[in-house]
Amino acid sequence: MKIGVFKFSSCDGCQLAFFDIAPEIINSEYIEISYFLEATSFNIYDRFDVAFVEGSISTREEEERIKDIRDRSKIVVAIGACAVSGGIQSARNFGNFEEIYSFTYRENYFKDINPLSKPISDFVSVDYTVRGCPVNAEEIIEIITSLLLNKTPHINESPVCIECKRKSIPCLLVMGSPCLGPITVDGCGALCPSLNRGCYGCFGPIKGANFESLRDLFKERGFNFEELIKTGFNAYNPYFRGVIWR
Amino acid sequence: MEIKLNPLTRVEGEGRVIVSIKDGKVNDVFLNIFEPPRFFEGILVGKNYDVAPDITARICGICPIAYQMSSVQAFESAFGIDIPKEIEDLRRLFYYGEWIQSHTLHIFFLHLPDFFNLPSIFEVNKINPEIVKIAFNLKRFSSKLIEIIGGRVSHPVTAAVGGFYKTPEENNLKEILKDINLVLEDTVKAIDYVSRLNFPDYSIENVLFVSLKDGDNYPILKGDIYSSDGLTIKKEEFLEYFNEYEVPHSTAKFSVKKDGKHYIVGPIARFNNTFDKLLPLVRETAKKYSITPPIYNPYRSILIRLIEILDCLYRSKSLIENYRRIDKATVDFEVKAGVGVGVSEAPRGILWHRYVISETGRILEANIIPPTSQNQYIMESDVKRKLLEVKEDEIRERVLEAEKSIRNYDPCISCATHFLKVDKLYLNNR
Ligand code: SF4
Ligand code: SF4
Ligand code: SF4
Repeated sequence: MKIGVFKFSSCDGCQLAFFDIAPEIINSEYIEISYFLEATSFNIYDRFDVAFVEGSISTREEEERIKDIRDRSKIVVAIGACAVSGGIQSARNFGNFEEIYSFTYRENYFKDINPLSKPISDFVSVDYTVRGCPVNAEEIIEIITSLLLNKTPHINESPVCIECKRKSIPCLLVMGSPCLGPITVDGCGALCPSLNRGCYGCFGPIKGANFESLRDLFKERGFNFEELIKTGFNAYNPYFRGVIWR
Repeated sequence: MEIKLNPLTRVEGEGRVIVSIKDGKVNDVFLNIFEPPRFFEGILVGKNYDVAPDITARICGICPIAYQMSSVQAFESAFGIDIPKEIEDLRRLFYYGEWIQSHTLHIFFLHLPDFFNLPSIFEVNKINPEIVKIAFNLKRFSSKLIEIIGGRVSHPVTAAVGGFYKTPEENNLKEILKDINLVLEDTVKAIDYVSRLNFPDYSIENVLFVSLKDGDNYPILKGDIYSSDGLTIKKEEFLEYFNEYEVPHSTAKFSVKKDGKHYIVGPIARFNNTFDKLLPLVRETAKKYSITPPIYNPYRSILIRLIEILDCLYRSKSLIENYRRIDKATVDFEVKAGVGVGVSEAPRGILWHRYVISETGRILEANIIPPTSQNQYIMESDVKRKLLEVKEDEIRERVLEAEKSIRNYDPCISCATHFLKVDKLYLNNR
């Protein structure tokens, strides 16, 4: 299986999962890493069985490149909140781009930067998504082994709350802290609640979750729902658009 | 005529070397960063202070703890919070985990293949599986350490202004003591092995070494900023003595001391400035393998990273042995308007944050200076030395050497990017 690992606008944190699973990769005769700039100097940009894509699309060059990768790849997997939702850099999508730009740079050199940072699914079809900021390396292994075995990968779609209940963690929302667990996909094992902190939504929203009801609950308790989502690394996720952002 | 070489490999982020040719020879060279900026300083404006540690962590997946530590320190200093020793110790331990993790990644996965002229660790594994096993052991150990304190390895979730959301249980932390002797031995083995490799003859010239000084500690969590020409300043004074400047031939901003002197940050600078703050045992080991300051050969930075890992491991060991859990994980404090500066030693060098905060705790201004942008100058000048005057038909082969000299500095381009100008040329040729 020829694998390519690609980077777009991102922090490299999701690609690191491949270093975590390097012992498995080294010992597997079925996996061939044919393109992975951060790991090797020997890269062949040709055809790929699976392209793992980290990062959001935030320049015109990236728009072209993701399309080209799609054309060369049988399967495209979006890994991480940047690729799946646009990432933390999509926080700029909700502000005034020129202003945000000028807070960072004095001069106007970046003519090719798009005002919006978008998920790759806005440009190409995506076969599988792995959530998280960063992803959980085990879900990458699940994808690779499933594809090798020709079965459909099992990627969790249930909310953080379920895992919380399973672990009998006292509910922070009930105790008075904001928590996005009810509308967030679990892939972390309810990590933040288990560490005495509300979920800030780094794995992103569940399709069709009842956003309205959590918003009302937040309002009742005096928490700012929208603000928490906007700092949650998945604010521009397609599931939020049209529901939360009209 | 300009030739854009292939993207740099085995570095964090996206960059490449561009050479300009005149009369069949290279007459100028520069480092082209094409990683798109992500506008962190802009995004932070208007946000509540308490999200800054998690947002800035996303600047870099390899050194998120460094970002969290510099940013919590900035707010703590703005709000006048004193951090108790127990919390400070735990933060140090957390940060040691990141140094071990990040250095391991660079030493074995990114840097070591260069010493064998191999493309990656996968090929190194074929000729020397032992050393790769050491790499995996160190990686596993540091991952565990970070996970126990922070919940997960990349973008851990427990760091908060004033302390931690939760402190780890004693027995969880103490459990990893059983593995620590193994990785200590492994590290010494690695030092022994790496010190016998061939190091190209090369030395950097006319640069200052800038790093933190923190009493008797080898610098990591905080400190005054020290430059090897004798200057010591407070973190708040950084911009009075250092600044960014632009040069016409290059797309990247550089950092320089205001008196015009160039400097580098990171392992070489720390080692040369504060060798005497390494633990005596670690100093002995370093001396045994002739790793002593001053080191001017950047290829030998791989040894310095190993020595730093050794120091981190011994210090982690004693911090874990003495660890007593405190129930109250955060200090009480009041939010107030002000300016806060935080600085710490990221694995790659000084990471400086400054925030202006409103009375309700909103961020009005953010400024972040990461290590890699401070090392721009030296990376580019090393590449220049390797490539200037090279004949056009020899460029492709010589550029491999030039790439190696960039890897010596373990550049983290994602970190640097929000700070660098992006070149427009990259569009058609990637
Ligand atoms: S999703 Fe998060 S961890 Fe992954 S690349 Fe983006 S910012 Fe980094
Ligand atoms: S703490 Fe959060 S994730 Fe857990 S049950 Fe309560 S709302 Fe759900
Ligand atoms: S609890 Fe929420 S914020 Fe925390 S790691 Fe899980 S998904 Fe991310």
